[in-house]
Amino acid sequence: MALNEAEAGPRQALASTPTPPTAGLAEPLPPGSAAWQIRVSNALVSLGWNALILLIFLAGWQILTILINSRFFPGPIAIFRAFVDLAVNGDTGGRTLSEHAWASVQRVLVGFGLAVVAGVPIGLLMGLYPRVYANSRVVLEPFRFIPPIAWIPLAIIFFSGMTRFAFLIFLGAFFPVFTAALVGVSRVEPIHRKVGLVHGASKRWILGHVVFPTVLPDILGGMRVGLGAAWLTIVAAELAGGISLGLGRMMSNYAELVQVPQVIVGMVLIGMLGLLMNEVLLLVEKRLFRWRWQVSL
Amino acid sequence: MTTTQHKVKVDITHRYGNLLVHDRLQFSVRENEFLCICGPSGCGKTTLLDILAGILPSSEGNVLIDGSAVDPKRDRISFVFQEPSTFPWLTVWDNVATGLRIKAIKGKELQRRVNEIIDIVNLRDFIDYYPHQISGGMKQRVAIARAFATDADLILMDEPFVSLDQPTRERMQREVLHTWEHRRHTVVFVTHNLEEAVFLGDRVIVLSAKPARIVADIAVPLPRPRDPLSPEFTRIRAECVSVLHSLDPAQGVLPDRRMAKAG
Repeated sequence: MALNEAEAGPRQALASTPTPPTAGLAEPLPPGSAAWQIRVSNALVSLGWNALILLIFLAGWQILTILINSRFFPGPIAIFRAFVDLAVNGDTGGRTLSEHAWASVQRVLVGFGLAVVAGVPIGLLMGLYPRVYANSRVVLEPFRFIPPIAWIPLAIIFFSGMTRFAFLIFLGAFFPVFTAALVGVSRVEPIHRKVGLVHGASKRWILGHVVFPTVLPDILGGMRVGLGAAWLTIVAAELAGGISLGLGRMMSNYAELVQVPQVIVGMVLIGMLGLLMNEVLLLVEKRLFRWRWQVSL
Repeated sequence: MTTTQHKVKVDITHRYGNLLVHDRLQFSVRENEFLCICGPSGCGKTTLLDILAGILPSSEGNVLIDGSAVDPKRDRISFVFQEPSTFPWLTVWDNVATGLRIKAIKGKELQRRVNEIIDIVNLRDFIDYYPHQISGGMKQRVAIARAFATDADLILMDEPFVSLDQPTRERMQREVLHTWEHRRHTVVFVTHNLEEAVFLGDRVIVLSAKPARIVADIAVPLPRPRDPLSPEFTRIRAECVSVLHSLDPAQGVLPDRRMAKAG
C-alpha cells in the first residue's frame, strides 16, 4: 500500500524550490540547511535596510537642524546628549529616565493586562451567546465611543496613583481586545464543533480546543491594537498631572521649562518601548501560529 | 428481532421547520454489519447521520444503540464527515489523536493507538505536517484515521470519498474495508454512488427524495474482495438502479431544491 507515492510530500517540494520569506516562517528549520540559510540572510538584509533608513533619517534631521539653527529645533546629537544626561543625572527633581520609563511601563502593563483578562472572556461569552450581546448592546457600545482621554477629569476626581492609570488604560485597551474576541467567534467552523460532539466532548473541551484556537489569532491582533491605545492613554493621563513620575509627566515638566531636547527624549523613548512590546507580541504570534499559511506582516 | 443482535435500531420522523425530512424512517443495523445508505442528493442523508450520532435530536421517535437511546458521551461512535474536518492548528499526529484524547486516553496507550492507525492509512512520513501543507486526499485520510483510532463500535461515514479522485477513492475504499475486516465494527456508510454502495456494503438501503422513506432494502451476499465487473455484482447494482428509476418524479421524489444543503 504505497499511498504516498502518488501524493508527493511538500517537504521535498520545499527543498527544490526557493522558499518565499513568508512561507518560511511557518516551520522551524534545522540550522545550516539551505532554507534556513535563506531565512537568515533575508533577516540580515531586512536588518541592514532598517539600519540604513534609520541612518538616513537621522542624518537628514541633523542637517535640517544645522540649517535652521534654533534651540527650539534640536537635532539627534543634542537629543542623545539630553538622553544620556537624563539617564545618568536625572531630571530637575533628581529622577532618572529609567524611573520615569518604568513608572509608565508598569501602568501600561497593569491596565493592559486587566483589559486582556476581562476582554477575552467577555468577548468569547458574548460571541458564543449572541443574544447577551444583542440585548446589552445599547449600554456597551456607547462606552466604546467615549475616548479614554474624556475619562481623565473623572478619573482624577475618583482615583489616584496606579488605580487611576490602570482604570484609564483599561478603558483604552479593553474594546480592541473585546471586539476582536467577539468577532473571532464567528470564524469557528461548525464542523470542528461536530468533531468534538460526536466523540462525546464536553462544552469545556469545545471551548478550549475548538473555539479558543480559532479565535486566538484575532485576540492577538486585538491585543496589538489595544497596546497602541494603552500608550496613547497613559501619556495623556500623565500629562494631566497630579503625579511626579512617568514619561508624560517628565515631558510636561520640560515643556514648561521650554527645554525641547528633553521633551523629544520622552517621545523617542515612548516610540521605542511601543516598538519593543509590539515585537514581543509579533514573536508570540510567529511561535503560536506556525499552523497558518501566512503569518501577519 | 431481539435487541442483542441489533446494534442500532432507528425509528424516526424529522422536520426542518415545516419541511418533512424523514417520514417514519425505520431500520436496524446488525452488530458488525456494513450498511450502505443510498439516495438522491437532498434527501436528508447527512441529517440522518447527525441523528444517528446523537448530536441532533429527531422531531419524533428515537435511535437506540444496544437497546438504549444514543448518547455520544457513552456510546463509542465515530464520524467521517463529507467536508474537510481536520483542525488546521494541529499536526497530522495530533489531529488523529483528537478523538482518543477526548476519551481521556493518554501516554503510552495514546502513542500506540495513534501510531498504529497512522501506519494503516500510510501517513507515517507526514505526522509533523499541518493540514495546510498536505493534499485534500491526505486530509481526508487524516479524518478517517481519527475516526478509526477510537476503536468505535459504530462508525458513521458521510460520503467520505466524494472529494477524492478515482484512484485515491478506490484505494480508500479498500482501506476502509481492510480496517473494518480487522477491527469488526458496525458501519453506516452514506453515499449517492450506487456502485460504491454495492461494492462496500453487506446491505444497501435506498431512500426516496424528501420526505425520505425506505424504498428498497437489498442484501449484497457477495464475498469480498468484490469484482464490480462480475455478473452477480452487475445484477445487484441493476436492481438498485431500477429501484431508483422506478421512483415517480410526479410524486415529488426527485431532488428537492428547497434544501439543497442536506446531503
